[in-house]
Amino acid sequence: MKKLCRLLSFSRGSLFKIGLKMKLLTVLMFAVCAVSAADSYSQAVNFSLKLKDATVRTVFDQIENNSEFILIYNEKWVDVNRKVSIDIQNETVEKVLDQTFEGTRNLYKIYDRQIVVLKDEKAELPAGLQLQINDAQVDQPQQKEVSGRITDSGGLALPGVSVIVKGTTTGTVTNSNGEFSLRVPQNAEILQFSFVGMKPQEIAIGERTSFSVTMEDETFGIDEVVAIGYGTIKKSDITGSVSSISSDVISAYPSIGAIQSLQGRAAGLQISANNGEPGASQKVRIRGGTSINASSDPIFVIDGFVGAALPPPEDIQSIEILKDVSATAIYGSRGANGVIMVTTKRGRSGKARIELNTSYSVQNEINRLDLLNADQFMDYIREARPNIQPAGGNTDWQDEIFRTGAVQNYQLSVSGGNEAVNYYVSGTYFDQQGVIINSAFNRFSITSNIDIFASEKFKMGVNLFAQRNTKDGVRTQEGSGGLTPGVISSVFKFEPDQSIYRPNGTFTIGRLHDPIDNPYAIATQLEDEEISDRFQGNVFGEYQLMEHLRFRTTFGATTNSGRRGRFSPSTLQEGRNVGGGDASVDGWKSTLFLNENYLTYERTFDEIHNLTAMAGYSLQSSVSESWGGRSQSFITDGISYWNLGSGATLQSPNSSLVDWRTSSYYGRLNYAYMSRYLLTFTARYDGSSNFSANKKWAFFPSGAVGWNMKNEAFMQNVDWISNLKWRLSYGFTGNQAISPYETLARFSPVFTVIGGNTVNAARPTTVSNQNLTWETTSQLNLGLDVGFFNERIALTMDAYRMVTSDLLFSVQLPQYSGYTNQIRNIGEVENKGLEAMITSRNFTGEFQWKMDVNISANRNKILTLPSGNDIQYGSGPGHMVGLGNTQILREGESVGVFYGWIYDGVYQEGDTFIPGGGFEQTAGGEKFRDIDGRGTDGKLTGQPNGTINNDDRTIIGSPHPDFIWGWNNDFKWKNFDLNLFFQGSQGNDILSYTLMELDLMAGINNATTNALNRWTPQNTDTDVPKALVGRTRRVSTRWIYDGSYVRLKNLSLGYNLPATALRNLGLSKLRVYVSAQNIFTITNYPGFDPEVNYNTGGGTNGNRNLGLDYGSYPNAKSYTVGVNIGF
Amino acid sequence: MKKIIYKVLILILVFNFSSCVDLEEKPVGLLAPESLFKTTRDVEIAIFGAYGWIATERLYGRQFVSAVMLRSDMVDIGDRGTPAERQQVNDFNMDPNNGMIRAFWPYWYQTISAVNAAIAGAQSLGLSEAEINPLIAEARFVRAFSYYHLVRVFGEVPYIDYFITDPQAVADISKTPVDEIYIGIIADLEFAKEWLPDSYSGNVKSRPTKGTAASYLSSVYLTRENFQSAYSEAKWVIDNRVRFGYSLESDFQELFRATNGDRPEHIFTVDFLGSQSGGGGANDDIMPPMSGIRGADHQGWSVLVPSMQVFNTWDNRDYRKWVSFDDSILVKGVMVPYTKFDNTQRPHIAKYSRFPGNASGDGRYSDHNYSAFRYAEILLIAAEAGAEANGVNSEVEGYVNQIRARARNWAGKTVSFPEDVPAGLSKEQFVNLVLEERRIELAFEYKRWYDIKRKRLGDQAFKGPNALEPHANFDASRDYLFPLPATELDINPNLRPQNSGY
Repeated sequence: MKKLCRLLSFSRGSLFKIGLKMKLLTVLMFAVCAVSAADSYSQAVNFSLKLKDATVRTVFDQIENNSEFILIYNEKWVDVNRKVSIDIQNETVEKVLDQTFEGTRNLYKIYDRQIVVLKDEKAELPAGLQLQINDAQVDQPQQKEVSGRITDSGGLALPGVSVIVKGTTTGTVTNSNGEFSLRVPQNAEILQFSFVGMKPQEIAIGERTSFSVTMEDETFGIDEVVAIGYGTIKKSDITGSVSSISSDVISAYPSIGAIQSLQGRAAGLQISANNGEPGASQKVRIRGGTSINASSDPIFVIDGFVGAALPPPEDIQSIEILKDVSATAIYGSRGANGVIMVTTKRGRSGKARIELNTSYSVQNEINRLDLLNADQFMDYIREARPNIQPAGGNTDWQDEIFRTGAVQNYQLSVSGGNEAVNYYVSGTYFDQQGVIINSAFNRFSITSNIDIFASEKFKMGVNLFAQRNTKDGVRTQEGSGGLTPGVISSVFKFEPDQSIYRPNGTFTIGRLHDPIDNPYAIATQLEDEEISDRFQGNVFGEYQLMEHLRFRTTFGATTNSGRRGRFSPSTLQEGRNVGGGDASVDGWKSTLFLNENYLTYERTFDEIHNLTAMAGYSLQSSVSESWGGRSQSFITDGISYWNLGSGATLQSPNSSLVDWRTSSYYGRLNYAYMSRYLLTFTARYDGSSNFSANKKWAFFPSGAVGWNMKNEAFMQNVDWISNLKWRLSYGFTGNQAISPYETLARFSPVFTVIGGNTVNAARPTTVSNQNLTWETTSQLNLGLDVGFFNERIALTMDAYRMVTSDLLFSVQLPQYSGYTNQIRNIGEVENKGLEAMITSRNFTGEFQWKMDVNISANRNKILTLPSGNDIQYGSGPGHMVGLGNTQILREGESVGVFYGWIYDGVYQEGDTFIPGGGFEQTAGGEKFRDIDGRGTDGKLTGQPNGTINNDDRTIIGSPHPDFIWGWNNDFKWKNFDLNLFFQGSQGNDILSYTLMELDLMAGINNATTNALNRWTPQNTDTDVPKALVGRTRRVSTRWIYDGSYVRLKNLSLGYNLPATALRNLGLSKLRVYVSAQNIFTITNYPGFDPEVNYNTGGGTNGNRNLGLDYGSYPNAKSYTVGVNIGF
Repeated sequence: MKKIIYKVLILILVFNFSSCVDLEEKPVGLLAPESLFKTTRDVEIAIFGAYGWIATERLYGRQFVSAVMLRSDMVDIGDRGTPAERQQVNDFNMDPNNGMIRAFWPYWYQTISAVNAAIAGAQSLGLSEAEINPLIAEARFVRAFSYYHLVRVFGEVPYIDYFITDPQAVADISKTPVDEIYIGIIADLEFAKEWLPDSYSGNVKSRPTKGTAASYLSSVYLTRENFQSAYSEAKWVIDNRVRFGYSLESDFQELFRATNGDRPEHIFTVDFLGSQSGGGGANDDIMPPMSGIRGADHQGWSVLVPSMQVFNTWDNRDYRKWVSFDDSILVKGVMVPYTKFDNTQRPHIAKYSRFPGNASGDGRYSDHNYSAFRYAEILLIAAEAGAEANGVNSEVEGYVNQIRARARNWAGKTVSFPEDVPAGLSKEQFVNLVLEERRIELAFEYKRWYDIKRKRLGDQAFKGPNALEPHANFDASRDYLFPLPATELDINPNLRPQNSGY
């Protein structure tokens, strides 16, 4: 209770403008009141108080501590530091208040358990209250009676809602049952309903006399408070581009982590699964990839802790996506890729609130490929290789390894608090059995957030988080297949005419090409188990130094330790090949420490100048250790990876230590003039150990202006526009994501053998670069926020241009120097784009439809490369030998465009064959287009030259989408709620190594049913080449596909038990729901799933390798039933 | 007031953390060049780094030696599903983007960089000549060994004989003329011959001795057609064979049995250790599966497979043919003739895949000590150079006869083939006989292409009526040199012009 009052008294605005958290709390309080409603509560409670020279605040505290009353007041009106003396024995609260306010101009009004303290100046009173107070004195002619009941979205009665006839001072406040009745003029047209923390509503009166109104939580209103770095700010005062995502969205459906649940939820935020495997990570991009070689991953800030681990979705209160430089520059050298700020749930004053959320899902693979069956396969293979004999089986390998997966998800949380301590404690358990046999993931975690109000001026908090992840992996997305490839690539390519086992009980192996293991053997035999433990603690203390100045210090530490054990037994080729099993164990432990210290000065001058200044210092350090061992050839497979020493062939052990430190000074100034003109200046001065001796420090400033046009006098009469704000920002951020020690020259050990023994050996591998420094991104952002019809439609638009210069580029050196590459600051990349987000309440009556649409288009372009030279690189699986380079970096093009030949279908009998080394020149062969050649000077001419070779390659596709979008719909009718969430990507290309491997038509593995349409002398009207042994794999337009898709990401139907039923059950909330995820996808992509990411790990690959598909674990379709219970 | 002071003190204390931060990097577990060279052992460590880099997948483990073999008329592509880059090297239609060149080019220069670093480190120690020159000699030998390969494969290349700490300093250098490169190679080998020891403990052959340096000198002189010097160096090695412990292996097969390790016949070896692997492709020997038989129980890949002509023209009575070839193999425990092989129905090279020692099931990560130079070659150089310089005589005939006599030891049983060299051959006939003997004796040991190039045999070998591996598009004006990697010319245009025809 105390917290409530204090926070209220801290609030700068008027009575009804208080922070979001407080609004929610107030709702909670009213909910509590409603259950045990009693009109005469004030008469039922008696007080005995004896206070001498106590402050008014103390009196209020006493009232609140000894009753269920809460006091609402504004410090502008009430001098809470005034000293009073009170002596009362068994009297009502009115007596206490009468004594307290004796001789002042304050008066009070009691609504059930709510005491509103006002100043006796009627003009300043909120209209509803004023009327209520003066009700008896005012006589209104020609009136009619209207009445109604107001509830929250959960169906709970809402007391204290202000009901006003629009354009008048006539109004009232609902009672403890949420009911109101009001005499209104006959000509009254519209009733306005408003309540703190809820969105205001307007309803036409017409002939109606009875109203049933559901108020919605105002989670996205312009008064919402959002977290920004080192503080919070009212959304209306923001000058930057920030998207907020609320807890109900984050936990809308069960997900492995909070990141997964953000997909499609915010403009400018692109999220895709790196793999569908249980426990797999997500790829996150905010406004595109700002870098080429350094990481373009945004930084994560959890409750102020930069780089901390994300808690499970259920423990997150809100996530803010900081996109433009005005918002991100406070993170300086780490802000270039955007910032994802996570605020975890915290306790609130009041009695313990217990919640249980649980769900159960069944899952199936999102798609299958149509592959040849045994007969079709044999027809095809024998066309290329007549001497191959059928193996006699007929196995659908997809049937053998897919199963129905299951996800169980539980969360139990207890939260509450009193004037001294607030607490939030939560435990979660998530268990997933993957859709491929023997794949599983589970995590359990404990989150404990404690806030301690030690004194009037000092508060502190502790966040503790512990989590264990256990992953039972299967091999997918392999970098190189070897003889034991990934289970998915084997499922597709393995010969369907073989069975799982040979007659002697051993597993079958491929016989056409590499003798690979069959997918069932791989899925069941290979072991890959990872356990990781996370402990995270974050302590803060905040001290009010002076009236407007407070100091906050935080200490955070997070450790992550784990181990991964892998074993290939002798039942697999990989294990057999090394003489009886191949085992390895790797361990790691990393520690991240952060200390932040900052001062915040917050003051309003003359009620028109609003100033917030913040300055601080931060220190962060990280230490990562790793170690591992590997051994081969064991006595028995039973040992797995638990006795490496017993192997006959020991491999070199490894260990490493990497550490870095940063040190930073930062500051921010926010200034608002009459809430019309907003100014923000931000700067950070960062020092990092990662950088070279000459460039340890750098400065990242930004500035922004905002114009709340709606607050101008000339806009006051434009009723249909409820918000109109312009934002403009410019500044600089950095990217320091290169590895430690990369600026230093060094020698590296080389495995060397002399006389049959290994010896110490080293060679120079890296030259030093004394001037290596961060990448700098400049960003210009123009934003517009518009609200229509009292925020019924809210639109946010942003246009931006980012230029990243001094790219950390691994510049290819002349290789005759003995070095291959050196990291230098060379090159520029541009990202520019448009984003729009519309929130619209299409229906607000009994049937409600709320809609969020976001759409973002980003254009990525390389402006300059080292010496302007193209850089070609390859990304194909290692065992698909001969593929060579598959992508290119070229000035003027996007990062990661596909590079290869133009496929012109198949040659026909009688065609003129284009000569070229290794290119087919027979009917039914692959035909590529001759587009370029070299002149006598060795330079490309741009003209066909009659031969086909590497010069005829060109850019054949781009993995970057034209735009991505999300469309969320929330419907409510009575106690039912329905969510429909679509998400999609448009205009991106995919290069499928999977389909290249399958449909090469070289007679070495199974193919898709496309092979049925292969060229034969009888079937010439086709673009599928004939079966031909020895065909070379070539990246061409044949393997480039449109990856656009529309996906129904979530569909859920929920039912909230009504209040009466809840009361009988003794519950505060019970929601049951059924939902489905990923149940349908519209796409032309012929592969498994258009949401693909192959070879995309790490900073460089993460930026350069986009839209690649190979052997990925399929994403799942899920069907979920769940319950949310509040006790 | 007291309170304010107290508050200020807290602030000062907290903000004082700033002065505690040290942003200097102090990597543990990494080798910093400035502190590496303190003793002769550190010089040795840098030289050993070069050996380790020669024994990688990029050089003697696969890429380089495969390219040199494919280029010759002794080894063809088996499985045509193998990468185009290999087919293009074999078929004389490669371009400057060829992946094989891109793979091995940088590794040779990294090897050179390692020994240049060793030399710079050695010179920084300030030791006496006697103490330090043997190590400098070893480093210079490796440099000569590397450039000798580079100059033969590419012709003009940048010749760098100093340690580079700033690559910018060599960013715009030009190629070095072939003659100058050979001057450097010969100077290095002469220095090596002067300062290297006669042997190492354990008779390790993967480090060079005086004998190794002299042997390479003889080979270099032969390539340069300085026959007198070639003969003298070879003769010096032969005369000092006892001092260096050189002799022919009695059973030819034993040279290709990985478990044997370094043998007396070896003059210089590249040592791989079985079932072990290091970073960057180190110690990864892939030659057994590259040349082995697809579908066989030992799981080769049928990539490097000689044409039928190589097998058919080789006399069946020659023991060396059956050491060099597998014409049948165990498939699921049953001996299958080459006509029934799964993938490529030709006899396959056996020198690598037959006895890879402790290795993976397909022979990868073998235990071979590959012979880069063996005593038989010195005899053949002495024969050829001696004949060229002084005419055919019993001495030079005798060198070939030593080789043939050894070949008559058919696994312990003496046979009559091959007979001794017939007397009375002309110089030209004799030299051609030696070349043929080299082709047979050193088959698949990465020598043949250099002989074709040295003797300008291409038109005859690839377009002649008796071509073992006909390639109609062999172009003598282009194909004796590989193209330099295109990326190198892009980065440093001063390396242009590209080798003719590319």
